[in-house]
Amino acid sequence: MASTTIPPDVMIDLIKVSKTYPPEVQALVDVSLSIQRGEIVYLTGMSGAGKTTLLRLISRMEKPTKGMIDVAGFDLGKLPQRNMHLLRRKIGMAYQDFKLLPERTVADNIAIAMEVLYTPKRTMERRTRELLEQLDLSHKYATRAGELSRGEQQRVTIARAVANVPEIILADEPTGNLDGETTARVMDLFYRLNRKGSTLLIATHDTRLYRHDKDRVIELRFGRLQSAAQTRVIKAEDQPETTEIQEGL
Amino acid sequence: MRFLAVTFGHTMRNMLLTWKSQCMTLFTVSLSVLIFSFFYLVYANALQVSASLDDDLRLIVYLDEAPSPPMQAQYRSKILKFDQVEKIEFISSQDAYQRFEQALGTNADVLTGVPEDFLPPSIEVYPIRSLDSLSRIKRFSDYLQTLPGVLKVQYGKQWIDRFHSFIQLIRVVIILSGALLVMTTTFMVAHTIRLTLVSRQQELELLRLVGATNNYIRTPFLFEGALQGFIGAASGMGALLLLYNWIKLQFAGPATTTLPFTFLSWPVIGLLIGLATLLCILGSFSAIRRFTRL
Repeated sequence: MASTTIPPDVMIDLIKVSKTYPPEVQALVDVSLSIQRGEIVYLTGMSGAGKTTLLRLISRMEKPTKGMIDVAGFDLGKLPQRNMHLLRRKIGMAYQDFKLLPERTVADNIAIAMEVLYTPKRTMERRTRELLEQLDLSHKYATRAGELSRGEQQRVTIARAVANVPEIILADEPTGNLDGETTARVMDLFYRLNRKGSTLLIATHDTRLYRHDKDRVIELRFGRLQSAAQTRVIKAEDQPETTEIQEGL
Repeated sequence: MRFLAVTFGHTMRNMLLTWKSQCMTLFTVSLSVLIFSFFYLVYANALQVSASLDDDLRLIVYLDEAPSPPMQAQYRSKILKFDQVEKIEFISSQDAYQRFEQALGTNADVLTGVPEDFLPPSIEVYPIRSLDSLSRIKRFSDYLQTLPGVLKVQYGKQWIDRFHSFIQLIRVVIILSGALLVMTTTFMVAHTIRLTLVSRQQELELLRLVGATNNYIRTPFLFEGALQGFIGAASGMGALLLLYNWIKLQFAGPATTTLPFTFLSWPVIGLLIGLATLLCILGSFSAIRRFTRL
């Protein structure tokens, strides 16, 4: 189950991964990618480029048609269903469609990730309040998730993803519905977790997020990963767009 | 401890989510348990009645003349050749006369002038008191009739035949109600659990994504099945106790004081509740296996 073929500092390793949906829709084609432990990687690309598919493959929500995926020491091709929880506990994922339970409160939705680890109730409550405070949602603690705006729901799904301080955080368009100030709060949270050792892979259209030189930006185009040089060109072209958010970050 | 608290919390949430179905299931389980245990109670008491059968079970073999001691030995050996019996008693004409006199009590004077040997001598055969011997008593009687010197064989034929038929009927009903109990408990519980699973499909999906183990997801459903079985069976037993007391009250009289009519013993009650609980857990397990492909 645990892989010994990849170096221990590599957190996510994809080798020639392809994903084809029936009948013949090629979502990913021969994608090879290595992400180091503690790295922040931005995954960009147009809608339909395969960003979400890539995140779903890494979190083993789907299986690749071809290729090999290693995540946090697990060879996903050989990981049996009964041990899937071992992988999922290392990953916190903020879904593009939120995956919230609309009838449950915001606190419940966040706590669910900690409850599966049998975290003591008091710790869960403290952590939930802490996260809501950071994301400026304290006043929504007992509100039903179904009553929140999309931006608020997005923050709740982020809070749930990071609640256990996972080794890997996968975020699918985490700031898609957020204003500048809230985006800055979210990114601040991500950077803090990164400093604690979490590896981040953020799929985004928002070019304002990856202006730091140290950030690695990769681009998917029609399911294919572009070379680093090609990606840099795109980044430079986007440069003049915004500076305001960057200051906030 | 935290595991138990979380499991219990999930179970309660499940049960509240589908409370109407839960009530129906509890009602069905308790009714099934009530039907089964009622017939079992009747059967168990019938067994006690058959064990306490006394004179009704004896066969009286009337003889044409009093047997000599060697003849008595021969009769004894021939009777034992057919079946094991509890007791064989030879009654002379005089003994029969005295018994009759005693039975008449204050009216014994009607026997004045009647010769003491006017009643025929007889052999009283007491079969072993069990339901098996009840079912064989007719054949036993036919056999005794073939012995030499036998005038007539008498026993509580009609009563015993009816009692035997009744016991056979109860056995069939117990088997049928047992099958009903198995079917209702397992199917109804499985159905209710399936409803809960469907209503919580979104949450179960999410639980898998955030790293819940198979046990974390399954245990509350098994616990739910166990609760349904336990509460349903306990209610059924409670209803049976009420019914038992009502019957005792309605039929209070000399018959109920002489015939034993007792409630089920604690081990039997425990066994029935345990069995129903186990069946409900099995029903729950089958539903989970089919629905939670983990």
